[in-house]
Amino acid sequence: MRSHEAFRVHDAPLRPLLTKELWEILSGRALWTMLLLMCPLVGYSFFQAVSLFGEASAAGQQSPVLANSLSPLDGVMVPTLGASYVAVTLLFPFVAIRVLGQEKESGALRLLIQLPYRASTLIAAKLVAVLAAWVLSSVPAFSALAIWRLLGGHLSAPETLNLLFGHLLYGLLVGAIALFAASISESAATAAIVTLAFTIGSWVLDFTVAGHPGLLEWIARLSLTQVLRTFEQGLLSLGLVMGIGTAVCGFAALATVWLPPGVHVRTKLFRSLVCVLAAAIVLGLATQIRFSVDVTEDQRNSFPVADQRALAKFAEPLVVTVHLAPEDPRYADLQRNVLAKLERVLPNVSVRLAGGRQSLATNAGDDSYGEVEYAYGGRSDVSRSSSPREILPLLYGLARVALPAPIPGADYPGYPLVTNGRPALLWFFFGLPLFIVLAWWRSRRLPDSINALS
Amino acid sequence: MDGTFDWLSPNLPPPRNRYREPVSPPLAMMAHQRGIAVDPGDVVSTASACDEAQGQILLRVDSITKQYTDLVVLADVGFDVHAGEIVGIIGPNGAGKTTLLEALAGILPAETNDVYWLGRSILPSRRREAIFYLPDGVRPYQDQPVTRVLSFFADVYRRSAEEIAGTIQSVGLTPVLHKRVHSLSKGYGRRLMLALGLLTPQPLLLMDEPFDGFDLRQVREMAKVLRDEAAKSRTLVLAIHQLMDAERICDRFILLADGRVRGVGTLNDLRARTGNPIGNLEDIFLALT
Repeated sequence: MRSHEAFRVHDAPLRPLLTKELWEILSGRALWTMLLLMCPLVGYSFFQAVSLFGEASAAGQQSPVLANSLSPLDGVMVPTLGASYVAVTLLFPFVAIRVLGQEKESGALRLLIQLPYRASTLIAAKLVAVLAAWVLSSVPAFSALAIWRLLGGHLSAPETLNLLFGHLLYGLLVGAIALFAASISESAATAAIVTLAFTIGSWVLDFTVAGHPGLLEWIARLSLTQVLRTFEQGLLSLGLVMGIGTAVCGFAALATVWLPPGVHVRTKLFRSLVCVLAAAIVLGLATQIRFSVDVTEDQRNSFPVADQRALAKFAEPLVVTVHLAPEDPRYADLQRNVLAKLERVLPNVSVRLAGGRQSLATNAGDDSYGEVEYAYGGRSDVSRSSSPREILPLLYGLARVALPAPIPGADYPGYPLVTNGRPALLWFFFGLPLFIVLAWWRSRRLPDSINALS
Repeated sequence: MDGTFDWLSPNLPPPRNRYREPVSPPLAMMAHQRGIAVDPGDVVSTASACDEAQGQILLRVDSITKQYTDLVVLADVGFDVHAGEIVGIIGPNGAGKTTLLEALAGILPAETNDVYWLGRSILPSRRREAIFYLPDGVRPYQDQPVTRVLSFFADVYRRSAEEIAGTIQSVGLTPVLHKRVHSLSKGYGRRLMLALGLLTPQPLLLMDEPFDGFDLRQVREMAKVLRDEAAKSRTLVLAIHQLMDAERICDRFILLADGRVRGVGTLNDLRARTGNPIGNLEDIFLALT
């Protein structure tokens, strides 16, 4: 006899839910089609990157100075994974939307939400499926890295893993946006438009408003492509990771709010507002976190080791006043070559733009425009340079410490490699697609448990 | 939340219900034991309403109102459902049957949605703890084989292999286990949905048009399956627009037209109400609507 007591919810096993989500994503054509499209895209990018790196390496083999600048991170990994980024931006939303959109369109969602799982658990399981889809869609990129190693190329584990981590976060962010879009849209087509508005909209932001001062500069920072730049530069930024994590959780929370169909729209709007406010607060806190690690083998985001050690001993605050407009290319150079490195190594440094929001046009006649004032320990000095070679001695002078002696053997050797990447094209145009088709066919096979059920 | 009911309104006033039936003495005693206030005037010594086995009021719908801008789809609908019975919500297309079931299941927001489970108010967000709803026209997970969809539901509710096999056997899904859901005929699609419903453990199962797509022989076959399920003390509420099918299987009927309840009771109750002692459900429905 069946009990009339209510069924206990929220204690259902997670395994069937996760299994179902994975089967659902593997059953769809979207993932496999995307994989097939990515093979030539990633493969050709890899081939081009290897060819260009080989040409540069041929010159580098004649000159050790040139060889020092040959980093596989910039030369091979970033362009190869860049192709993967394009595919994730344009194609991955369709894969991620399917995770929820298919159930909405078929009506299965009305069954799913009655199962003994919280809405947040359902969305979390779908996010796991999105993660699995990203891992699968990265197979061409992973295979490119493996081929690079087979060709004799060098890979630095920290910078490679950091770059892959950045792409993973980007994929999750796109997936979370897609889930949110699917949860608020009645059809997958509408959800795709909403998601692409975010991803392609980021490109529009990059092309139109980046480099402009004021509000436009702030808006440009919202671009999703900003997510990857720091990782491509070889930096692991805690604030950025926290920010992306918050954005992923925020979109997942919004998807959770909008998933149950039995809740009034007013209630959903109120809950959404709470989610957005909470995410905004955490994002605001994340922007205050300046901790980052330079994971590059050539330590391009840091001063030389001897200078790093000497600067780390600066106990008093360093105040830098910059008389430059934010859109001035010199400011970008100064920021990249000096200020960002100082902020990472000095325990207490503050940078401010003199005169607030200046612009190139309004400061044309100002004699002090272009000056950068450094104040430390009650002393100050001015420089117009954006090169560490000039600014570091200035800082040592202000701190009254001697210039540190260079540490021998700490120079980056560079990893030139002259090789022919053409055979890799065979893999990307024939071998890998064949494997993908076979895997697709394998995923369409019926489960073994059918006999047991019969 | 610990996963059990946290009854939010322990001392509720007796629910208002225009179609509430008289409360039998055993039920009144049960209600008293559960701390539910019962109006002494409601207690009558009659066995006409329902016998003791089915006497417990499982679900009391006090008021469900659903409105889309100017269109009232459900107007203050109320009724009771007793434990172990098969209730048919009868009405033509557009009467509001599906809307009523979805609001009842908590998957459609409604202007009023006052429902009591065993005498206690149950919020829409918690209805799935007691109620499972099988919607009409749903083909879940169309790219998956039938066996995988069944396994999913069975694993979620930790069903044993015997229970799964019994369910497959009872609804006659064996010939199509290897097929993908999208390739099933309408009838087998309906059987699959029924199988999923039978695998769920909730005491009350709501089904929207469960016989749609079945021929006469299949309707009888499925009616027997539902009867067997009700015999296991499960309560079924079926939205049916085919009056013949409804008359064949349901113990009691809720006649719905234009979003309003026009009559509630057994066939004999409704016959008595319309003064037509030999009328079938069709005659009664026409008389009351």
